[in-house]
Amino acid sequence: MTGPWNADIREFVLAFADDEHLMGQQHTEWIGVAPFLEEDLAFSSIGQDELGHAATLYAIVAGEGDPNREGGIDDRRLDALAFDPDPSRWRSAHLVEATTDDWAHALVRHWLYDTAEQLRWELVAESTLEPLAGAAARAEREEWFHRRHADGLLDVLLPAPGAGDRLRAALTDLLPLAVGLFDPVAGEVQAVASGVTIAPFDSRMPEWADRVRARFDGDLSSIDLSPSDRAAPTGRTTRSNAFGPLLSRMREVLDLDPAAIW
Amino acid sequence: MKRYEVFLKKDGRDEYRHAGSLDAPNDELALVLARESYLRRAEADRLWLVDREHLVVGNTDFVAPNADKPHRHNDGERIAERRKRLREAQKYTGEDAS
Repeated sequence: MTGPWNADIREFVLAFADDEHLMGQQHTEWIGVAPFLEEDLAFSSIGQDELGHAATLYAIVAGEGDPNREGGIDDRRLDALAFDPDPSRWRSAHLVEATTDDWAHALVRHWLYDTAEQLRWELVAESTLEPLAGAAARAEREEWFHRRHADGLLDVLLPAPGAGDRLRAALTDLLPLAVGLFDPVAGEVQAVASGVTIAPFDSRMPEWADRVRARFDGDLSSIDLSPSDRAAPTGRTTRSNAFGPLLSRMREVLDLDPAAIW
Repeated sequence: MKRYEVFLKKDGRDEYRHAGSLDAPNDELALVLARESYLRRAEADRLWLVDREHLVVGNTDFVAPNADKPHRHNDGERIAERRKRLREAQKYTGEDAS
């Protein structure tokens, strides 16, 4: 036994996997078009790390709690989850579905997401679902670098005339979506009860909001950051308009020949 | 943007070697970007970055004059020959060669 597993915990892990997958996908789409070559490599590598986290989490789902069962999980079972053509299967946050060709938006989202992601992994670092705790340890070995990358760029760009304004405008656009990261996902209550996670994700939202304020030194009063006052969460059951085109891009090669074995 | 020269070293006795260069706005981002540009496949265990502004560069006029001094090129052949002769002479006279 690797820990508790049932349909609720599956939903809980799947939502995390979907977020990591789509965030990784969005970052890697900057390869070749980031502002300069070094950043091009760095940002797409960071995206690749997120895809790795997603693969680890999908393997836990595919293995029903045990990614090492039957000598490992067949890649095709991971693909079936990661490229599922049915939008109703997905549990991604709208923040990671949003598509942008604006570097300021990409960078601000990178910071907002990774700051939340750190808090999210911390909650499962001692998970009773052992493979999830293992994934948290592995992820943190990469995430400190992601945060250092995002902070390094913002340190330089926020004080710069022009760039700072673009970043703050991006923050205004993205904050309402970023808040949705904390919407309780289906199965979270049961995940807390069984010790798969130590607390609901939105319990860490005030800390995240403090970090956002400290980072951007902005007046965020127009954004509703208190969990109790927010609009009723959807449990991640609805997809944004950006999701369809994103899924099509992800499935572009797969759809060339659905019968092919990769 | 500044230009940095990147030097990498594997753990062990190898020396630092020049791996290339990169552009970054400051030292911190140079480190961050070097990690993904030059070390993402675990190419090395150690990293030096040098701001190109800090390099002391000898220009070619200053460096070139020493290219025409063949007498400074010692490939060790003559020394080896002398040592060989000496060893043989010692053997011939029965002296201890050690």
